[in-house]
Amino acid sequence: MNSDNTATRRLARLITDFWLLAVLLLLAIGIAWARPEFLNSANLVTVLRTFSITTIMVLGLTWVIAAGHIDVSFMQVAALANMTAAALIVAGWGWGGAIAVALGLGLLVGIINGWLVAVMRLPSLIVTIAMAGICASAAAALGKGTVIRIDDSGPLGWMLNTTVCNILPVALFPVLALAWIAWFAQERLTLGRYIYALAQNEAAVRAVGVPVRRLTLLLFALSGAGAAMAGVMLTASLSSGQPMIGGPYLINGLTVVLLGGMMAHVGKPNIAGTLTATLFIGVLFSGAALLGLPDYQRQIIQGALLAAGLGVATWAARHHAGPKRAAK
Amino acid sequence: MIFARMLSGGMVRVVALLALIAGVAIAFTLAEPRYLSPANLSGIARHMAANGMAALGVTFVVIVRKFDLSITGVASFAGMTMGAAIAAGLGLWLAIIIGLACGALIGAVSGLAVGRFNMPDIITTIAVGSVCSGLAFLYTGGRSIFQNFFTSGIIDLNDARLLGLNLSLWLLVGIYGLAWFVMHHTRTGRAFYASGENPTAAWYSGIPVRRFVLLAYVLCAICTVLAVLLILAESGNAETNKGARLLMPAYAGVFLGAALMAGTSVLATFAGILLITMLLDGFSLLGVPYYYSDGVVSLILLLGVLAFSDRARAWLSRLPALIGLRPGKMDRPAR
Repeated sequence: MNSDNTATRRLARLITDFWLLAVLLLLAIGIAWARPEFLNSANLVTVLRTFSITTIMVLGLTWVIAAGHIDVSFMQVAALANMTAAALIVAGWGWGGAIAVALGLGLLVGIINGWLVAVMRLPSLIVTIAMAGICASAAAALGKGTVIRIDDSGPLGWMLNTTVCNILPVALFPVLALAWIAWFAQERLTLGRYIYALAQNEAAVRAVGVPVRRLTLLLFALSGAGAAMAGVMLTASLSSGQPMIGGPYLINGLTVVLLGGMMAHVGKPNIAGTLTATLFIGVLFSGAALLGLPDYQRQIIQGALLAAGLGVATWAARHHAGPKRAAK
Repeated sequence: MIFARMLSGGMVRVVALLALIAGVAIAFTLAEPRYLSPANLSGIARHMAANGMAALGVTFVVIVRKFDLSITGVASFAGMTMGAAIAAGLGLWLAIIIGLACGALIGAVSGLAVGRFNMPDIITTIAVGSVCSGLAFLYTGGRSIFQNFFTSGIIDLNDARLLGLNLSLWLLVGIYGLAWFVMHHTRTGRAFYASGENPTAAWYSGIPVRRFVLLAYVLCAICTVLAVLLILAESGNAETNKGARLLMPAYAGVFLGAALMAGTSVLATFAGILLITMLLDGFSLLGVPYYYSDGVVSLILLLGVLAFSDRARAWLSRLPALIGLRPGKMDRPAR
């Protein structure tokens, strides 16, 4: 009886840890069956390239949301970095300088966001929504409202376009290394405990002596820097700066983080879940494109997925939390 | 000193607000004399009517301490629905009723999810908005709808005047008046505020908190539909991106107004949206490129919220002590 119980529990654990991965595999098999060209190396490279860029963009966001805040400026930070890098390269700067300035800008926006939220105690939605507007305007102003084309896609372009074994873009490896570091920090270091504790009870975390302000500032700064890095990668990938590139990534990024939050630590955004969900969305979109679904249907599917993810996460969190709080 | 005491509290804020509005008007008139021309003022009134409707909707949601980011999607879907209804020859009033019903339904979905099922407000409404933006493409696949628009009478909503003022402005003032009365002079209004300030206490006082959260989202969606209706009337066609420019001004209006008037209220939103619309119209009259407008609104929002935040006020009240003056009564934040 007892061992039976442990087995059930182990199975439940296995299911919560890996269900999204299993769904991802089933989805991939289904798409490959309906549209064999899904498995062409060119298509797989495209999926993994998008995966690399989106992962960098949402790693920081995962922690911001895990800590109970929200950042809706990340996609416009990416757009700003994207345009800044393109503008600097057209102005004759090298890739090194362009990347440094664009990353610096992203970090700066992140630090301002973090300062306004952590020190000035303003609501994170209002702060980041306003920052998103400012970044989007600045990005458009850099190109006077139009696209900036560049000729040389630089070392990042090489990393995104060169493949190992015809399937894996070189850029995937540093991205996975970074993701592994983030996963390690979240699972094995106290940093990870603090992040989740922040979402539960900020006052208590402060009381035990954690530098809450600095931690919050760090999380927003990481989100800004990651988004900027993704923006620079987009500059290289598209050989251009696109002022309107931010828009679609808002819902993408949030879906990925929330959907990922239903895996591994149910109800809590986490790095492993974010990675799986990013790949899931990438495969889903690739399949939708191969099956000829128009953009708006993908948008409906994605919104529904996000809502479903949220619903399950909320339900699970309530069951984990035990006794309900009244009327809240 | 007596004079200063007379101007204490709310009066100071009203005077400061009027001075700010006058200052903005004077600055733009100096830069471009056409700013005060009847044509431009009428334009400001029209834009304010649309922005103001959306901002009023956001006000209800903010009063119950939630957010609604679905208004872009709701505006897009409801706008296309009304457009399709008009194109199908259903008549203007029926089209408007269908649009409002759509809005109410979507608002109810968000309101139930957030109020009844405790789902996180920001991300839930982003998801709902995304689905709505997608659904807006169902009617025409994204093409603009203009059939029957000239014969249906919807254009008259934009052109009609009453006592020399745009009909849309009267509509705005009427709805704001009604909202002001309900929110600030009835038990229902008190219940809205109580549901936001302390839901647990409100619940124990017999206020059905969840129902008020639901109601706030429904009202927000209905106001958004009215806003997009005015936009359709002005442009004479329905397109999927018609509501795309509603979100930022609405939030900026609500939070700037709340910052200026020390709290979210119907009148504060009115003041906020008036300022925002005056600024946006002024910049477009000066020929500032369109892509700066969101940035300017965002910057004003950020500076406004920052300048009136508790932290900034605490620092300001310490300032007299720092430069050797005794802190007086006036230095404390007004409540």
